[in-house]
Amino acid sequence: MDLSLVIIIVCVLAAIALVVVFLVFGRSEANFTFDIGGASPRASGGSDSSSEKTSSSRLVGLVAMVGAAFSVLVARLWSMQLVSSEEYAEQAERNRTSTVYTQAPRGRILDRKGREIVGNRPSLTVVASSDVLEDEVEMTLLANLIGMPMQAVRRKIQDTTEGQQSPRTVSVDVSRRVVAFIGEHHELFPGVDIQERTQRSYPHGSLAAHVVGYTGTVTSDQLEASANAEDGGVVYRSGDIVGQTGVELQYESVLQGARGEQSVYVDADGNVLEYSTNIRPQSGSDLVLTLDLDIQQAAEDSLARVMEQLRDTGYEAEGGCVVAMDCTNGEVIAMASAPTFSPNLFTGGISTADWDALQDEKSHFPMMNRAIGGQYPSGSVIKPLTSFAALDYGIANTGTTWDCPGWWTWTGDPNGLPYMKCWWESGHGTLDLADGITFSCDVVFYEIGKGFYNADNSQGMQETFRRYGLGSKTGIDLPGEEAGRVPDPDWKWDYFKALGYSDEDCTWKGGDNCNIAIGQGDLLVTCLQMVTAYCSIANQGPVWRPHVMKGVRAQVGDGLITEYKNEVIRTVDEDQGFRDLVARGMEGVVYREAESQTIHWTNLDVTVRGKTGTAEQSTGNPIGWFIGYAPAENPKYVIGANMDRVLSGATSSMYVVRDVFGAIYGQPDTAAASTSGNAD
Amino acid sequence: MALDMTGPGAVARGLSFFSRRAEGRHAHSRVGGGGSPLGDLYLSQLIPALLVVLVGIITIWSASISIPEANFVSHLAGVAIGLAGAVVIWRYDYRTLSNMTTALFVLACVLMVLPRIPGLGYEVNGMMGWVRLGPLRFQPSEPSKIVTIFLMAAACAQYNGKIDSFRDYAKLCGTLLVPLLLILTLDLGTGLVIFFIGATIIICSGAPRSWVLGTIALIVAAAAFVVIESQIEGIPHILKDYQLKRLIVFVDPDIDPTGDGYNLRQAMIAVGSGGLFGKGFGNASQALSGFVPEAQTDFVFSLFAEQFGFVGSVVLLALYAWMIVSTVLLAMRMESMFSKLVLVGCVGMWTFQILENVGMCLGIMPVTGIPLPFVSYGSSSMVVQLAAVGIVQSVWRHRQKAA
Repeated sequence: MDLSLVIIIVCVLAAIALVVVFLVFGRSEANFTFDIGGASPRASGGSDSSSEKTSSSRLVGLVAMVGAAFSVLVARLWSMQLVSSEEYAEQAERNRTSTVYTQAPRGRILDRKGREIVGNRPSLTVVASSDVLEDEVEMTLLANLIGMPMQAVRRKIQDTTEGQQSPRTVSVDVSRRVVAFIGEHHELFPGVDIQERTQRSYPHGSLAAHVVGYTGTVTSDQLEASANAEDGGVVYRSGDIVGQTGVELQYESVLQGARGEQSVYVDADGNVLEYSTNIRPQSGSDLVLTLDLDIQQAAEDSLARVMEQLRDTGYEAEGGCVVAMDCTNGEVIAMASAPTFSPNLFTGGISTADWDALQDEKSHFPMMNRAIGGQYPSGSVIKPLTSFAALDYGIANTGTTWDCPGWWTWTGDPNGLPYMKCWWESGHGTLDLADGITFSCDVVFYEIGKGFYNADNSQGMQETFRRYGLGSKTGIDLPGEEAGRVPDPDWKWDYFKALGYSDEDCTWKGGDNCNIAIGQGDLLVTCLQMVTAYCSIANQGPVWRPHVMKGVRAQVGDGLITEYKNEVIRTVDEDQGFRDLVARGMEGVVYREAESQTIHWTNLDVTVRGKTGTAEQSTGNPIGWFIGYAPAENPKYVIGANMDRVLSGATSSMYVVRDVFGAIYGQPDTAAASTSGNAD
Repeated sequence: MALDMTGPGAVARGLSFFSRRAEGRHAHSRVGGGGSPLGDLYLSQLIPALLVVLVGIITIWSASISIPEANFVSHLAGVAIGLAGAVVIWRYDYRTLSNMTTALFVLACVLMVLPRIPGLGYEVNGMMGWVRLGPLRFQPSEPSKIVTIFLMAAACAQYNGKIDSFRDYAKLCGTLLVPLLLILTLDLGTGLVIFFIGATIIICSGAPRSWVLGTIALIVAAAAFVVIESQIEGIPHILKDYQLKRLIVFVDPDIDPTGDGYNLRQAMIAVGSGGLFGKGFGNASQALSGFVPEAQTDFVFSLFAEQFGFVGSVVLLALYAWMIVSTVLLAMRMESMFSKLVLVGCVGMWTFQILENVGMCLGIMPVTGIPLPFVSYGSSSMVVQLAAVGIVQSVWRHRQKAA
């Protein structure tokens, strides 16, 4: 800059010198001025104002004007080329450089054994520039060639979601025939081009759709979020394909590769003159999930089959889900939700009709992952937890017995109120707590609920539930998890007050205690929560955080470069005697409660403990639950399922859980499934 | 009307005729006497002019590399024809033209009207103003500048440096106005040059200050009226849409960032990004990659400034200044009013064309299609500018020898 300063000064001095020289040349004219009008004093006498003088002074004025014009130009040049030069240079650089982006393939999603759940496939795509819109003939030709209605082609070309300047996708996965025809008759299709892209492929169709999720064009919110991110995350560009749900969204940063950037020098028409730096696209990393494809497949098949059977016998069976977890480390072996959807619908953009069908209420929300997002009353599967609560807080002990006549009132008086029935209306007779679990005797748990109402710590039950993780998210690595709800007096007051109920209606009553003791009332849980709670029963304490990600595969070889860090989220302490009692009760559910149940389990080598549940719903048929774990001696797998709008847990979800166990141990259920019958 | 114009100077013409004959003899005898061969050349004007021509050749050479419209050979041909023409003019005694006011007036009007004659008129890049005569294509507006210089110099010289009657002043203005109006609607840029030449000559010929100022006020008012009128919808506009737009983008280039504003902005980026020393010969990423339109003609200064930077631009402007100032100095030394005014006309033409062309690239003048003297690609302009050099040299060659 010093040099330029010197030059400026030199130039300024030169300019001044020039002006002085001009002035000196005008010396003979004593009274010239810079005024173009000249200074000839006309009033001072005719002879004085000679034409010679006038014209000379005007010439000097002319020189002054020329000098002024050049001074202005030099001053402006100085300001542009020296003062603001960098600013202009920057704009010139921005003009001449351009970046060509190449999309990096997303990482694949694999099951725990390395089998592909979601992959990539090359896809030949017909794209067209917006100019094609003006050519009806070309659009008609193109439509006929691809086999699409002309109006559809027009709509596709009008769609600007991939960015104003980007070519518009007309059709993905076109045949070689189409590609060849367009290639040979390029003059017929100006503005139409074939691009080779990669698309998400789903070799197993909709398998594990809720876990893997789907991809789609980046939304404006995501664009904004990525642009505002502070820590060098991927900054999306309009038209990028990003994960929208499930693992695709959760592990977006792993799966999304780094796009290739080729800097080029262009002329004003955008023609590439020269290539500059080049960053090759880096494909995303492959993600290995904890899911096992075989077991996942069995889970989904079973879920679909049982629901179908139930529908055949007159139940709505609107939805269901199953979660299979390894309780020793929190790995989710299978997670299925029904009804399901095909993520393939979303590749290359989902059609409005498809989207509307998925959102339609009559299709029972296929996009929802019921295993983590479906909140239902737990029904009797809560009873092992209620039992622990009763034992922990001294409401009952290992020797306590109850008498079940088939009905129950607060005072024991058959005419008293509230009058509540045991689901086994003829009565269970005398039973202890283990039998209470086995036979799911409601009377036993009504008594426990009443006991808590009268106890010093009236909220012992809720505290126990929370200790087992109810009412809060498990923190699984999937988006869309719900927390459920453990109701207590404060909650009831606030909740119903807000809805405008009277003080009386908002007060916690004994009946509320009885309700939550059997998993009814206002209690809401997710299937994953209950399975995780059962993990702590099976595992005798430590609970591992449930997760679906096993690790990130290395770019070379089969090894994992990053592994999920297994983590104990809580340890639930219970007296060993209490654990034994509950275990005995749960083993009884499987092998003693009812012959119709038992026949499905005796054909499995491992001993299973579990609990059925049938939660009544005010809106229709109950929701059926079953959660079990095996092997009893050294538990590893905890599998839970629920199904909406069925007869009972034992006639619906239990079959699904049994089928998943069958897939794990290679021993399918041979007993005829009955979707009717009387059991809980 | 044209005849009328030659009327009042009859006596003066007779007088000056004698004196010129005497001068001519003197000059011829000097040449015949054989002195220094360079003595007949006014070097302090010729050298900078030729240097600028050289700068132009280099600039157009760089342009010819990537701009297909810029044919380097044809540029050189233009320079050659121009130099040949300049030599002819140099040897010709320009003073014979001083009493041909009527003929010059008719010639000026004919040149202005030529492009409008069906069969001759020709359009290049949507610009009217070209004429095709057999294989020859040229812009008659270019030679009309020279004709105007002589016309106005001859008309004004009749009053010998002193215009006392308003009638005479109005007559002079009228002489300028007729060709001016003919060209103004066809080619605004050339019209402005013609106007500037005429105005400079009239002012320097001794028109009273108050009349000049009054005329300027009148012109400003008329211009304001034209601009405002052209912005009112529903009535026929005097300025064409593109002309009005150019005026508006000059005030704020961001009004029309893709059209004329884009051109102006790109030209300014080219100049500004040149920096102190420029990007070097042939490295003009702006002007040579198509961002600056017409980089070889109207925006040629952008091309030059981007390649050679502030230093080069100042050198170029200094050469122009040298050339112009030495021409004015020559004018000061001339006794004859006609000679003075011819030189003044050349100075006015160069000054305005440089100010307008460079100023346009710098964003301080409205965008109009005026070539940069000696540099812009285009033979019509090159030939005419070199002819102007020839005129200055001719004035020197036929000067009255000081005693």
